[in-house]
Order: sequence, then structure tokens, then C-alpha cells
Amino acid sequence: MTPVYMAAGDIPTPHIEYGRLAPVLIVLGAACVGVLVEALAPRAQRYGLQVLVSVVGLVAAFAWTIALGIGDQPHHVAAMGAVGVDGPTLFIQGTILVLALMSMLLIAERRHEDSPFTAQASTVPGSPEERESLVAGLVQTEIYPLVLFAVGGMLIFPAANDLLTMFVALEVMSLPLYLLCGLARRRRLLSQEAAVKYFLLGAFSSAFFLYGTAMLYGFAGSVRLSEIAAAISKQGGDEPLLLAGVALLSVGLLFKMGAAPFQAWKPDVYQGAPTALTALMASCTLVAAVGGVLRVFYVGLETLRWDWRPMMWAVAILTMLVGAIVAITQTDVKRMLAYSSIAHGGFLLTGVIATNKAGLSSTLFYLAAYGFTTVGAFAVITMVRDAGGEAGHLSRWAGLGKRQPLVAGTFAFFLLAFAGIPLTSGFTGKFAVFQAAMAGGAMPLVIVGVVSSAIAAFFYVRVIVLMFFSEPLADGPTVSFSPATATAVAVGAFVTLVLGVIPAPALHLAQSAANQLFVR
Amino acid sequence: MTGHYLVLSAILFTIGGIGVLIRRNAIVVFMCVELMLNATNLAFVSFARMHGSLDGQIIAFFVMVVAAAEVVVGLAIIMTIFRSRKSSSVDDANLLKY
Amino acid sequence: MTTMNAVLAAGGPELHPQAAEGVQSVAWLLIALPLAGAAILLLSGRRTNKWGHLLGTAMSLGAFVVGLLAFFQMLGQDAEGRSRLVHLFPFISAGSLKVDMNLLVDPLSISFVLLITGVGSLIHIYSIGYMSHDPDRRRFFAYLNLFVAAMLLLVLADNYVGLYIGWEGVGLASYLLIGFWQYKPSAATAAKKAFIVNRVGDFGLSVAIMVMFATFGSLSYQDVFGQASQASQGTITAIGLLLLLGACGKSAQLPLQSWLLDAMEGPTPVSALIHAATMVTAGVYLIVRSHAIFELSPDAQLLVTIVGVATLLAGAIIGCAKDDIKKALAGSTMSQIGYMVLAAGLGRPGYVFAIAHLIAHGFFKAGMFLGAGSVMHAMNDDVNMRKYGGLRKVMPITFATFGLGYLAIIGFPGLSGWWTKDGIIDAAFEKGGTSGQILGWLALIGAGITAYYMSRLMFMTFFGEPRWDEDVHPHESPKVMTVPLILLAIGSVAGGAFLILGDRFAKFLAPVVGEPEAAHKLVTPYTAIVFALMVVGVGLAYVQYLRRPVPRTAPAGNPAVTFARKDLYGDALNESLLMRPGQWLTRLTVYFDNRGVDGLVNGLAAFIGGTSGRVRRVQTGFVRSYALSMFVGAALVVGALFLVRI
Repeated sequence: MTPVYMAAGDIPTPHIEYGRLAPVLIVLGAACVGVLVEALAPRAQRYGLQVLVSVVGLVAAFAWTIALGIGDQPHHVAAMGAVGVDGPTLFIQGTILVLALMSMLLIAERRHEDSPFTAQASTVPGSPEERESLVAGLVQTEIYPLVLFAVGGMLIFPAANDLLTMFVALEVMSLPLYLLCGLARRRRLLSQEAAVKYFLLGAFSSAFFLYGTAMLYGFAGSVRLSEIAAAISKQGGDEPLLLAGVALLSVGLLFKMGAAPFQAWKPDVYQGAPTALTALMASCTLVAAVGGVLRVFYVGLETLRWDWRPMMWAVAILTMLVGAIVAITQTDVKRMLAYSSIAHGGFLLTGVIATNKAGLSSTLFYLAAYGFTTVGAFAVITMVRDAGGEAGHLSRWAGLGKRQPLVAGTFAFFLLAFAGIPLTSGFTGKFAVFQAAMAGGAMPLVIVGVVSSAIAAFFYVRVIVLMFFSEPLADGPTVSFSPATATAVAVGAFVTLVLGVIPAPALHLAQSAANQLFVR
Repeated sequence: MTGHYLVLSAILFTIGGIGVLIRRNAIVVFMCVELMLNATNLAFVSFARMHGSLDGQIIAFFVMVVAAAEVVVGLAIIMTIFRSRKSSSVDDANLLKY
Repeated sequence: MTTMNAVLAAGGPELHPQAAEGVQSVAWLLIALPLAGAAILLLSGRRTNKWGHLLGTAMSLGAFVVGLLAFFQMLGQDAEGRSRLVHLFPFISAGSLKVDMNLLVDPLSISFVLLITGVGSLIHIYSIGYMSHDPDRRRFFAYLNLFVAAMLLLVLADNYVGLYIGWEGVGLASYLLIGFWQYKPSAATAAKKAFIVNRVGDFGLSVAIMVMFATFGSLSYQDVFGQASQASQGTITAIGLLLLLGACGKSAQLPLQSWLLDAMEGPTPVSALIHAATMVTAGVYLIVRSHAIFELSPDAQLLVTIVGVATLLAGAIIGCAKDDIKKALAGSTMSQIGYMVLAAGLGRPGYVFAIAHLIAHGFFKAGMFLGAGSVMHAMNDDVNMRKYGGLRKVMPITFATFGLGYLAIIGFPGLSGWWTKDGIIDAAFEKGGTSGQILGWLALIGAGITAYYMSRLMFMTFFGEPRWDEDVHPHESPKVMTVPLILLAIGSVAGGAFLILGDRFAKFLAPVVGEPEAAHKLVTPYTAIVFALMVVGVGLAYVQYLRRPVPRTAPAGNPAVTFARKDLYGDALNESLLMRPGQWLTRLTVYFDNRGVDGLVNGLAAFIGGTSGRVRRVQTGFVRSYALSMFVGAALVVGALFLVRI
């Protein structure tokens, strides 16, 4: 897609660096294998095969990512410049892959019940057919390739060096998620409603993203980020096309990361979706979305930063405040964490706005830290169960600390990490982004950030008080243990603790990743 | 010349956007989103013409493919909720709120 | 370099400790052994109930043996090499603050080590008997061990931070042990009082440390004393006064004396070890150790002597009026420490006598406290001397040992108190000038009063007709209690002569505090006056308490007696000067906190909660309204970007 005029038939064969794209290709390839398994393997063996394919695919992709990271100074473009393979991208991709592996532990969980996903998506909730499928012990093993496709999209999204690739990645990541949202085993009406809402709003936002892309194409004659940047510095930023394009593009990106005023989908979708999938969305999708935001604003629009900064300031402030304030009155655990996730999106934006190396590295660190804590927290939620599935309502969590001190204590630890209490990764992350924002001259943002952290601390601590200082309910929820979920919780807690107590190695890693900046 | 097409594209995009806001039937809402995508395609093609490059046209094809994939997923989702609720109105599905 | 300055400034010996060898290099064992004992006893719970007291005693004895070996090794070294440094580990390294945790084994610290571990071990042994019926004996020994460890850290540290940690550690141990019988409200209150009054002193010490760090950039003795001469006079005086404040708190000197009398609520071995022999002398140690600072500030030195004299008189007067045997002894302790502080403030000749008197006092006062404990044991834990009398026949060993301690403290010629106290009085006169005369005469008068109140105590307890309650059947205490008494009595008799004869102790301490200009004269004109006053004091007590019968209830007495009985209104003074204004301030702050701060916080919380309740209504659950918010948001974003352009 070079701006050179080409006659029909003149399109050259693109050369593709398969080695540098391997992590993405492995994940997408595993997804295709999953589809074949679904088509060819007998029903009884599908679960095992699918889990195997998924885990092997993710692990292999992660290993390859590591190899790319340490092999040489990764600062390349691949596939004719459509994909960037550089320090920040590899950091983000590695984070996504590990978090996806952890989420996979929850998705593949079948100790609590046969699967966290519906037995047969096509059956109507409450119908005899649904009961039959439940009794028959059916499981919907298509979820594994769907998850892998989504993860593949997430891997491309922050790596995409042109807006078309980014759009395709956006859809590859979103479409499976829309479907997966609607596949909860329990409370299926809520789940389906979440899927519809997510899908309609997601499609709506991608229309904005795409229209923004069109405007920028009109402005620069190319959708390549580097060429947009070049065009901005050449022509100046006065073009209405450019400003409209940036605005609409931002809408699409900010929607994905759930920044206000585009946050409305998040609480509903997080609450309605199967918790295992919420864990995936709250961690991996957020990481990918912020990665995309970073790339667009650091590579494509950096020269225009005096124009978009005021807008982003407003968005960040609104996001932090809305997330923190509305979370206070929530009564559902998942919904509360969704608002908390919105607030954290705001904190991440303060790092993005800094547009310096410190901002980049602190945002990367924050992403990793927050991702692990989030997966751990949602993993705990899958363990606390009532007769009707997970105990979502906060009142059911009363006194849990007295009956299950370990589980409640771990959850409390995650909440403290969300609140940013010292000795947790949350503190280090917040400290890093606020420091970067301050260095970037965004003092008011930091003040709002600290204030909303304080507000947010209230509802985190409220849950802790509820768990530890209330009398347990007579018919309170039970805690269902399983090795896989417990592993996810343990890894989350461990990383949260390590990044809080000895954050230096991880910070150093994020710094060295950020030092190379995004490739153009 | 291309200016007219762009204005048309903007009008279509706005119609689509407003349609999403005011129509209740999920299918129609979705069709309005498709209308917005088509408006985008028109813009791409116009710009391709303006810049004298093929890129915009190629992008339009990509968008079509993506839109087709979106239709598949979207219709599936809308079908399931229709079967559960016997209604395709997006306003009926509001259990998740506040 | 800096050490040279120290020599020039203080005129004292060079302070350049060498690395320790042999036993001294494991001086950390001194602290580690009792600390380990405390840890084992506290952590292991009831399992060690059976042998816990033996372990505690063994740890204390072990520390004593190490101390003794280190002492003998020191004797084998020449005077130059008697200060040895044991490097343990870098303790604090934060910015420019670097504190290495080193131990300083020198003649001064080893004197204390021997006193603490020696007397401490005897008191451990005594406590085995004394506390044998207490269900919490293990905990008691754990605290005793904790105390010994902290006290040893206090005297062995080579820097003020280590000293401060030990200082707080002994404060903690003292608090725990005064309140050991915490079910008694009086004990709990006394513990709190001791802790709070000590805080005032500790505050002084901690501020002194901060000023030192700000001035010298280091907190090790070597650096601080080495650079002391370069600091301004005002700074040095300030440091000196702050250190004095710290010493006043820990050593119960005016105006922070009030806690010591109440501290007698603790078990008697505690009173003997902590509130007579060792911890309360920490203030004297602090002043003597910091002599390089005090010598640079005559004002601070003068104030030290004034505090010492005032306290020695106040303590003596209080001692005259108390019927509670332990409180009478506590008053006496205050008074005797007053002598030591006076001596420490007198400069070069005084240091030796301060420490010598401290050691002698450690023996005879610990002996008398333990004797008092033995008496209380016999009298069913009654402490009222008016119900004693004639005990010399039923408790011969206690009587004999107590009597020797008594003779030592009143300064009977030849016994240890005579050697050391006369030395202090002489040193006061030798100071010269009007102040020297005043200090000397007041110290003399104090000696007379000492003879009076100690004789009163002696006569009321051991002589005269028995005034016992009907159900009391006194008996001598078991061997485990009397043997320590005998050993302490030997120390009371011979300690003074051993230290003072031939200036032995002065030469021993010379590497630390410097050589006195002239040899100590054993007999001076004042010796006779002291002796005469002593005879007058004893005679007065004889007339009042032996010739006449002692009433079982205290007579009303004149205002002067009431004044003394009420601890010279020390508590009333504290209450009206400090407690009441403090309470007012607290109330004011609470009021402000409730109305102002809480009101603001609660109002803010309610506001945010209300906002939250309203904003969440925006999340209607209708997907079309979400789309609308996105649409409006998109319009705003576009608008914002164009707006910036304009």
C-alpha cells in the first residue's frame, strides 16, 4: 500500500518475515487446528485435544516472543511494513500471551461444573432442550479456537503499523469475543444481553474507527502510521480531514479500552459474560487496546500531540472519576471490578498522555501489573459459588473471611493491589505512571488520579471490611477448589506481590523495552 | 468532484449513526451500522480517486470482507437472543444496568 | 585527623579503637545469649514452663562468663589498646545516614557489662526462689533476659543509634516488668506512668541524636566526639542539655523523677535490678560516655550538677517520710543517682567516682532491695515498715546482709559507700568557687539525711518490738534467695575499697575518661564532717525510732512531713503543669477533629456517594442510550480537537 500509483496487475508479491511474525502465526495456526479438531475429532476427545492445542500454541508463541526479544535488538517491520516488531510490542505481546494462558486455565476449568460455558449455545434458556444438553454433559468446545482467534487479533492489534491492519486486527479480536460473551452456562439471558450490547456497540465503534481511518487516508494518502506522521509534519495539522480523522479514530480506540464517555458497554458486558471470559477481556483485551492506543498516539500522531492532549486530558480525568465514583455504589462483584477497570483505564491514559519514554515504560509496567492482578481477582470470583453458580452479589460475600480466610485474604490482597497500596504491584504501577505524567507536566492529571485513587480505595476496602468484619451468612457461598483455578490465583497473587516488593527487574524490563520505542 | 462523494459519504454515515440511535429492532440497528461501513467505503474509494492510488479501493474490499464476517457473528447473536426473548427489540434487553 | 581534634578539644585520651580479638571479638554473644533466651521463652509458650527460669538464668550467667573473659583479656592489654571495636554489620544505609552496628568494648562498657551481667545473674538466681509460686514465672524470666540484652546493647553500642535502641529496649522491658502483675490496676498505671514519663526523656535523647547527625553527619562516638570541638558552642550546649533531658527521664532525676516511686509496683527483683542497680543508671552512663560533649559546654555541666544535687536532696527527703519499705529505698535510689549525676557533671575527677559509686550502689542497693523482698516474703508481702520490727532474730541472714548494705550506703568508714561517696563530695569541693562550695555542702547535708532515713528504715524493720499482724509468721528465706544476698553483701563491703584504693579504677577508666590530675586523697577535712553528720543522722533516727515505740499507723505529722510523703508534690506539679493543659489540648483537638475534619470527610463521602448514586442511573441498560452517549462523546471529541485549533 505504498502511495506509488500502480496499474492493475502491478501489485508485487509481498515478502513476509515469517520468523518475526511467528508468535501471531502460531496462535492463529493453533486456532485453525482447533477448528479442524472440532470438525474431525470425536466429541469425547475434543476437550482434551482443544486444551492441548490451545496451551501448546500459547506457550510456543510466548517462547518465540521471548526468543525475539532477547535474540537481537528487535526494531523491525515485517510484512512490508504492516506490522512492527519492536521492544514495546514484544513486551505487550508477551504479556498478552501469559495472561491468556492464565485465563485459559479458567476457561478450561471443569471442576466447578462441566464448563463455564454453555452446553449448547443454540438451545433456548430454560427449554427442555437445554436441560437435555446439560444432562448429556455436552460442552461447547468451539470456545477454544474462538479464544485463540481473539488472542491472535490482540497480538496483531498493538503491532499493526497501518490502520487497515489495525482495523482487521480489531475485528479479529472482537468478533470471537462478541460470541464468547453470550455463551455463559448460567444466567444465560444476561449473557446473551451482554453479547448483543457488546456486539452492537462494538460494531458502532468500529464504524467510527473506520471512518476516522478514511479521513486520515484522505489526508495523508496512506493508512501507514509513519506516513501519516510524515504528512502531519509536512503539511501541518490544520486540515479538517486530519482533525476529524484523529477524533473518530480515537473514539474507536478509546471505546476498546473503555474510556469515558465510551465506557458504557464495560459494566454490562463484564457482568454478563462468563467470568473466565471476563478475566480474558479485562486483562488481555485491555492490554491490547492500550497497546494500540500507545502505538497510534506515539507513532502516528506524536507530532500532533499539542492538539490531542487537551482532549485526552479531559477523557482521562472523566474516565478516572466516572470509574471510581460509580464503583462505590455497585453491589455486584464483577460489575464493581468493571468500573474499577474503567478507572484503571484512566490511570493508564495518564501514562499515555505523557508521550515520553517514562510514560511508555510506566504504562507497559502498569499493564502487566494490572493484568495479573485482574486475572487473579476474577479467578477468585469463579471459585466462590452458590447453588446457582458464582456468588455475584456482594452481600453473599459477607463474612467470607471468617469461613475461607485464605481465599478471602487473597482476594483482599488483589483489591489492595487495585487500590494501589504499597507492597503490591498496583502501588508501583500507579507510582510509575503518575511520576511519568508529572515529568510530562500533567500535574492536574496526577492530582485527579490521586483523588480518584482515594475514592476507589473506599470501595475496595469496603469489600474487605465486608468479608472480614461481617457475620458469615448461614447459607453463604462455598468455595470450590480446583488445581487450575488455584494456579491462576496463585500466579496472579505471586506476580502482584513480586512486582510490589521487588519491582526493579520488571521495571527494568519495561524500560529496556520502551527504550527502543515503537518502530515506525 | 470528489467533494460531492465525500459529502454523500458523510450524509450516509450520519443517517446510519442516527439510525442506530433511533431504531429499536436489533436487525435494523445492525443494518444501520452496515450503512455506516458502506459510507466509509464510499469515502475510501473517493479518496483513492483523489489521491490516484489503489489503496483506498483495496481497503474497501477488506472492509467488505470484515463487514461480512461481522454479519455472520451479529446475526448469530441476534438470533440467539431472539429465540430466548421472542423479541428483537434492543430495548427489551435491559436486565444489566446501573 | 579527627581524633587529633578530639584530643585537643577534650584534652582526653585518643579514641581510636582497634579491632577486637579473641573473646572480645565475640562480644556480640553478650547480647545474643540473653536475647536468644528471651526469644525462646516468649515464643515457645507453655512448653518451657518447667525449665524456662533455668534457661533464663543460664543465659544471663553465660553472658557474665563472656563478659568476665573479655574483662580479663582487657587487663592483659596495655592502656592504649583497651578500646576494641567489634564490627557486626552495616545497620542503616539511607542516603547520607550510614550507621554501622559496631560494639565498643572498652573499660567503661566492660565495667557496666560486669555489673549488669553479674548483679543480673544474682537477681536471676534470687528470682527462681522469689517467683517460684508465680504461674507466669517463665514470662518473667523472658522479660528479665530481654532487659539484660537491651541494657548490654545500650552500653556496648559504639554509636548513638545502637545506644538509643538499647535505651528504648530497656524502657520496654521496664514497662513490661513494672506492669508484670497487670491485673493490679496500680501496677498497670505505674507501668504506663513510667513509660510516658520516660517518653519525655527519650524525646530529648532522640532530638539530641538528630541534632548530632545534622551537625556531624555521623552518629558513631568516634566521629561525634572527634568533631565536637568544631561545632558551635550553642549547638554543643543544646546537645548537652538534650542528652541531660534523656538522662533525667531514664535516671529519675528532677524534674522527671515521679515514675520511679510508682515503679515499685513491679516484683521486687525487678526493683532491685532495673530500678536500682542498672537501668536507672543509664543516664549516668550517657553523661559519662558523652563527656567529650559536656566538657565543651560548662553551662550544660553546671546544669548537670544542679540537677544532681537537687535530686539527691529531694530523694533523701522523700526517703525520710515513706513507710513503704520499697518506696523508701526508691527515694534512696533517686538520691544516690543524684550523687552520681552530680559527680558526672563535675568533670574529670568526678567520672571515676560517678562510675565507682554506680557500681558500689549497684551492689548495696540491689542487696537491700533483695533483702526487702526477702522481708516482704516473710511478712506476707506487706510493705508497711510500721508493721515490721524485731526481724533481726528471725531472719539473721537477711538482717546481716541488709545491715552491711546499710552501713555501706550511709558511708560507714571502710565500706564501699564511704570510699565512693566521700570521693564525690571531695570532687564537688575541689570544683572550686562558690558553686563548688554550695554543691559540696549540699552533698554533705544529703549524706547526713541519708544516714537518718536509712537508719530509720533499719530500726523500724529489724530492731525494736515486733509489730506484726497476727497471721504473720516470719521465717528466713530459702538458700536460693539468701546466697545472692550474701554475694551482694560481699560486694557492698569490699567493692569500694577494691576500686578506689591505689586509684585502681581511675587508672582503669583512664583510656576512656582521661587521667585525673592528682591522686585521690583518702582523708580530707570533709571526711570528718561527713562522719560527724552521719553520726548525727543515725543518732536522730535512734532517738525517734528505737528509743520511742513506733506507732502502727502513721501519725498525722506536720506540713513538712506531708510534703515529703506526697513525693514533694511532684505528681501534683506534673498534673497541673503538664497533664491538665495536655488534656485541654487533646479535648480541643478532638473537638476540632469531630466537627471540622470529620465533618468535612463525612460530607465529602456523602457527596461522592450521592454523586455515584445519581451517575449510575445514567447506565440505563438500554443499548441505544449507550450508543447515544458514544455518539455525543464522539461529537465532543471532534469538537474538542477543532476547538484546540481555534
